[in-house]
Amino acid sequence: MKDKLSAVAKTFSPSPIQQLSHLAQRRNAINLAEGFPDFPAPSLLKSAAVSAINSDFNQYRHVQGICDRLAKIVKDTHGLEVDPLTDITICCGQTEAFAAAIFSIIDPGDEVILFDPSYETYNACISIAGGVAVYVALNPPHWTLDNEKFLKSFTSRTKAVVLNSPHNPTGKVFSKDELEVIATACCTNDCLAITDEVYEHITYDNTKHISLASLQGMQERTIITSSLSKTFSVTGWRIGWAIAPTAIASAIKNIHVRITDSAPAPFQEAALTALESQPQFFESLRQVDYELRRDFLARILAEVGLCIQFKAQGSFFIFAEIPEECLLSDVDCVRKLIEEAGVVGVPGCGFFHSNKLVEVGADNFYQKRYIRFAFCKSDDTLAAAAQNLQEFVNKAGAFDRSESVKC
Amino acid sequence: MNPSFPSLMQTQCTWSCHHEMLGALRSKSSSLFASSRHLLRQFAAGSGSRRPPSFAAMSTAATEKEASPNQKESAGKPLQVAKRLEKFKTTIFTQMSMLAIKHGAINLGQGFPNFDGPEFVKEAAIQAIRDGKNQYARGYGIPDLNSAIAARFKKDSGLVVDPETEVTVTSGCTEAIAATILGLINPGDEVILFAPFYDSYEATLSMAGADIKCITLRPPDFAVPINELRSAISKKTRAILMNTPHNPTGKMFTREELNEIASLCIENDVLVFSDEVYDKLAFEMDHISMASLPGMYDRTVTLNSLGKTFSLTGWKIGWAIAPPHLTWGVRQAHSFLTFATNTPGQWAAAAALRAPDSYYVELRRDYATKKQILVEGLKEAGFKVFPSSGTYFVVVDHTPFGLENDIAFCEFLIKEVGVVAIPTSVFYLNPEEGKNIVRFTFCKDEGTLRSAVERMKAKLKRT
Repeated sequence: MKDKLSAVAKTFSPSPIQQLSHLAQRRNAINLAEGFPDFPAPSLLKSAAVSAINSDFNQYRHVQGICDRLAKIVKDTHGLEVDPLTDITICCGQTEAFAAAIFSIIDPGDEVILFDPSYETYNACISIAGGVAVYVALNPPHWTLDNEKFLKSFTSRTKAVVLNSPHNPTGKVFSKDELEVIATACCTNDCLAITDEVYEHITYDNTKHISLASLQGMQERTIITSSLSKTFSVTGWRIGWAIAPTAIASAIKNIHVRITDSAPAPFQEAALTALESQPQFFESLRQVDYELRRDFLARILAEVGLCIQFKAQGSFFIFAEIPEECLLSDVDCVRKLIEEAGVVGVPGCGFFHSNKLVEVGADNFYQKRYIRFAFCKSDDTLAAAAQNLQEFVNKAGAFDRSESVKC
Repeated sequence: MNPSFPSLMQTQCTWSCHHEMLGALRSKSSSLFASSRHLLRQFAAGSGSRRPPSFAAMSTAATEKEASPNQKESAGKPLQVAKRLEKFKTTIFTQMSMLAIKHGAINLGQGFPNFDGPEFVKEAAIQAIRDGKNQYARGYGIPDLNSAIAARFKKDSGLVVDPETEVTVTSGCTEAIAATILGLINPGDEVILFAPFYDSYEATLSMAGADIKCITLRPPDFAVPINELRSAISKKTRAILMNTPHNPTGKMFTREELNEIASLCIENDVLVFSDEVYDKLAFEMDHISMASLPGMYDRTVTLNSLGKTFSLTGWKIGWAIAPPHLTWGVRQAHSFLTFATNTPGQWAAAAALRAPDSYYVELRRDYATKKQILVEGLKEAGFKVFPSSGTYFVVVDHTPFGLENDIAFCEFLIKEVGVVAIPTSVFYLNPEEGKNIVRFTFCKDEGTLRSAVERMKAKLKRT
């Protein structure tokens, strides 16, 4: 009865992230693959959620206060004026906000430009809505925006550009100049933009996250999606949002209501507490000190021989490159690291895509040469990873010429 | 993979017809069908009304786009939402709730309790939060919950299912429905619906580009018109979407009806998506799962949730049970719709589903008492009450009171009597079919039900 599956569902294959995750679990390997913290969520939030449950906030609910608070935050942070009554939809995570956004604007045949590498879920959503993903490769090793490639990717069918910044998996934060190129192109081609800003509060070295919607001509054509998950280390609560111009926001809301109807009630209450505490909370985030963890992880990966030419400016990922001398593919490399070093990363191939229009002979070799590691992990975890990697290096040497297995 | 445009055009014609009918109704009771935002502004500002841009205006823009594909559209494009949205309006529930608040009416419209869930379930969620279960759960559900769901399903239906490959946890039954439809329905696929239906069915099927065929269940007993179904179903039919116990009528599909539907499905190779979210609120007969009928498990997706059974509708824990080849499609869609379901809620749900049978017995008993209060009250007030076997809904014929349709009656009921009911016309493809019928719920504490009944007995006069 496999023919009963929809055409698009048949094209999907199981996520490499999840498969290797199962192997890692079986081997009890240190998990630097999945992008969620292994340290506790903030007590402030947990208490708020517990309190909500005890206060009987357990039926279908829409907490308008979240929208009010978000409107104030985007005003203070990005200078955007949004109407909390009409322009904001609370969803089950940024995932749902993005899905609702796509379904609200994409008609069959509409093209959506994505920067490559990109988070695997965007594509699935665009496909089911009948859209066509058009990938524009960021140029390694620094993942810079290639203006020419980007501008050439627009056609009369381009409906939207998806921008994830800070970026998963590379850790890139799009610069003001790059955002201006994107904004100009969107305005000139009269396109929409959907942003994924879930890592908006996780940036390093004083890099500033700039919201695309704050650029000239963009607010009226941008759907912002983000969530509580990464900022507040509560990835399991499923509280996210979409902010958009009123007419589109209305559509997003109506779709969201048919996808899930509402986000979990007690966690909406807790979200209010979280968002209201924002200034103090970010102080405590500094205590978590993602920047130190980034540097620590970068160092221990370098000792194994992995190359980190691009220092992550945001998110909690390092996108490390397999050294030239090692001919293993990313998947084989990750498997080796699980089996022999007891450390897990994510093979980068799952984030790279190619267009049907890619020229023959184009150099896509690099798409199998990256591994993503997460450093949103406790001191103990990172220390254990360091130890495992050190032992691996002592035993087997760093990745080198002895690995003659071709990709 | 490009969907076929001709079938899209087909559905568009259906949409515009329905759109006109809604428009006709709208002009008679404009305040009710205005968007919730309109009502909010009125409520807040106290005067005047600024109408938001209508979807009709936007669909005009869509037509222009088709007419001149080579021209760049003007500034209208950023506002251009997808064509599939012509059916998507603010739900009737939101609108009625707004009006209810404004008039201080007792809300017997929206289907969620005004009492809370059991302590032991709430405690389990609290414990999970404190134990640090606050990060992403496994996409298709935490193992403990999947097992609990399988165990409960075995008790209820006799079917043994594999929690790893046949159970998927979602953000409420609403998402289970959305994931099932988006994962298993191709644009242009024919799907049969029974009207009246829960309003998200039609909208979600439209999102998937399905070709909807509707079979109406009619009062007084809302029995399945088997001959109509036999004519409607064919080898072209992809799936039937059914709901038992049924919202809004409270009807429960009998074994005879299920057998008839099953044999037609087997004969024509049709899937069944069975929304059984009210299965624990079965009063007049035992609930029967379609999946338990011979030959049906392999082609059925059974949908359910925590919310109604445990009075925790805001927790958004639902699930889909289906054979592996169908589960796979559901999981694909689920992975991009919400990716994972809230973790603490899942832990609590696992505890809830292990509740002893006494919980369910007491639940039914409590609701039976509430139902009696409401049904007797409605009869005394002068409604013609249709028998409801399950769910916590009752539908009634309001025509003894002389209002011209269900929307007008509901507006009147809020403003003049101070009670909220839901007009059922929104649950039909052809709203005319619902104009005599409104839905009340009894998932409220007894005091609230009695007060509502008193208001109706005092203020409703048969004409």
